[in-house]
Amino acid sequence: MPIRFQNVTKKFGDLSVVEDLSLEIDDGEFVVLLGPSGCGKTTTLRMLAGLESVTSGDIYINDELVNDVPTQQRDLAMVFQSYALYPHMSIAENIAYPLRVRKLDHNERDKRVRRVAAMLEIEPLLDRKPRQLSGGERQRVALARAIVREPRAYLMDEPLSNLDARLRVQMRGELKRLQHQLGTTTIYVTHDQAEAMTLASRVAVMKKGRLQQFDTPLNIYNHPANRFVAEFVGSPSMNFIDGKIERGMFVSEEIRLAVDRPDGNVSMGIRPEHIHVFTQPQDGTIPAKVYVTELMGNETFVFLSIGAQKLIARAAADFRAEEESTVWLRIETDKAHFFPKRQSTDYTE
Amino acid sequence: MRDRRRGIFKRGLPVLALGVALLAALAPVYWMITISLKTEVDEFASPPKWFVFTPTLQHYYDAFVTRSFGQYLLTSAIVALVSTACALVIGTLAAYALTRFHLPYNLGRKLSLWILSTRMFPAIVTAVPLFLMMRDLRLLNTKAALIVVYTAFNLPFVVWMMRGFFAEVPRDLEEAALVDGDSRLGALVRVVLPLVTPGLAATAVFCLIVCWNEFLFALVLTQTDAAMTLPVGIAGRVTQYEIKWGVMSAAGAVAMMPILVFALAMQRYLVRGLSLGAVKG
Repeated sequence: MPIRFQNVTKKFGDLSVVEDLSLEIDDGEFVVLLGPSGCGKTTTLRMLAGLESVTSGDIYINDELVNDVPTQQRDLAMVFQSYALYPHMSIAENIAYPLRVRKLDHNERDKRVRRVAAMLEIEPLLDRKPRQLSGGERQRVALARAIVREPRAYLMDEPLSNLDARLRVQMRGELKRLQHQLGTTTIYVTHDQAEAMTLASRVAVMKKGRLQQFDTPLNIYNHPANRFVAEFVGSPSMNFIDGKIERGMFVSEEIRLAVDRPDGNVSMGIRPEHIHVFTQPQDGTIPAKVYVTELMGNETFVFLSIGAQKLIARAAADFRAEEESTVWLRIETDKAHFFPKRQSTDYTE
Repeated sequence: MRDRRRGIFKRGLPVLALGVALLAALAPVYWMITISLKTEVDEFASPPKWFVFTPTLQHYYDAFVTRSFGQYLLTSAIVALVSTACALVIGTLAAYALTRFHLPYNLGRKLSLWILSTRMFPAIVTAVPLFLMMRDLRLLNTKAALIVVYTAFNLPFVVWMMRGFFAEVPRDLEEAALVDGDSRLGALVRVVLPLVTPGLAATAVFCLIVCWNEFLFALVLTQTDAAMTLPVGIAGRVTQYEIKWGVMSAAGAVAMMPILVFALAMQRYLVRGLSLGAVKG
């Protein structure tokens, strides 16, 4: 079902947690709310679930205003970070709970529980209690409980954050497939930009309660709307060089590069993969010192310094350079992003 | 040799301490039960007949057949059970509301302290006002009077105990139940209450014991056989001319039993209930 936030604000006392949020989510979309902790993404989800009231603004589910509709009548399913499995019930009872509350008859309940359990491959666990399950198994049960009743939308609050790295990647893939199979609108909250990039059809980046950008993962990555989005999305993070543009030249204390931009004070953002490192000088390269290299297996992160300016570059796995040795960089200025220069007094960024 | 002696000492000391504590706790009980089984002559024998005497059930017959101790026992049971049930239902709901709902002006905390403060003054100061109130309500010498009073006196205890247990239950669980489509009350009954069962059991045991043993209000508010509880009935055998030790002991021994059995049955929950929250996990 389509979901719409219209100028939604949430205040706890004087503290504004979500400010003037407007989002339109289409039917069947997988939208990820991405942001650092305290950015209001979980509060947004909880407002949609009806677990938190709205201070001002409107929330629509399927074009129906739901501001005053109690949680139980919104017909949404939610997966909690803690999984929130009922500890005193067996796995089968846990999954059947939403059906039991809806007074579905026993046979139908059983049939649906079995079908979902088969889908998530947790049939052998049905008679156990939640405390006998591993984290990954609990995660599946929480998912099963959400999908057993075909709700209007799924809400997921950092569902993978309690899993170990390997399982997280595996579950991420399964979640994506599951959502494609079911085709149900899903809103997913995370602070992990890798999850956002891989899962989302569109990502809403939030910061301090304000929406920064709402776009496809590729656009978020390639055309960040502001410096925050540019910095938050991508790993390792984007490099920033403060300087100014004078007659087609970007000039900082250490670097001079030809760019095709109007004059002014700017902060140039350049992704690590757009800095190429050479051990020998080439045409149009600038010298830099190697601070340290980190071999990741399939690639190498090269930490560089040009005077006081620190940069990170991505290089091939076989790249080798001694610490403190001099290397030469080619910076792809046509892939660079330019943002207004950060004021030194502006601590909010 | 010295090590072994020290070992015996080390192990012996706790056993000795436990023995003394047990003796101190159980001696009066033993004495009461033996007196209830002795003839009147044996009761006053000097030196006392500690172990060897001719047992008789005469006092039990006197108490429960000739006199109305059976009636008192029934009254005590009804009053204790009904008032415990009332206190649990009202107190649990109140505690749930206090832990889960945000009241304006920090009222949640203020109300909790106010409820607790009703336990802080000595009960006896309310005896006369309660007597007058019950007289005007024409509830003197009724079980209803005792039920109302006991419920009122147990409520703060229930609220404070249950507040602690509810606070232990993660909010996520109830919110999950709400999102799953359950009502508040449904979530409370199906999800929260099963998780605080040990707490409920512990609280129930304490309420029952308090009601069962209560003497002051039962004495003030009931004077007739039909409304008298066991403690008042037992004390009533101390008269101007004689003290019926045998009958009192027999009644006392019987009075002790239900609580003993109940507490033993609930032991598992009691320990878990009282230590809940002490350790995470």
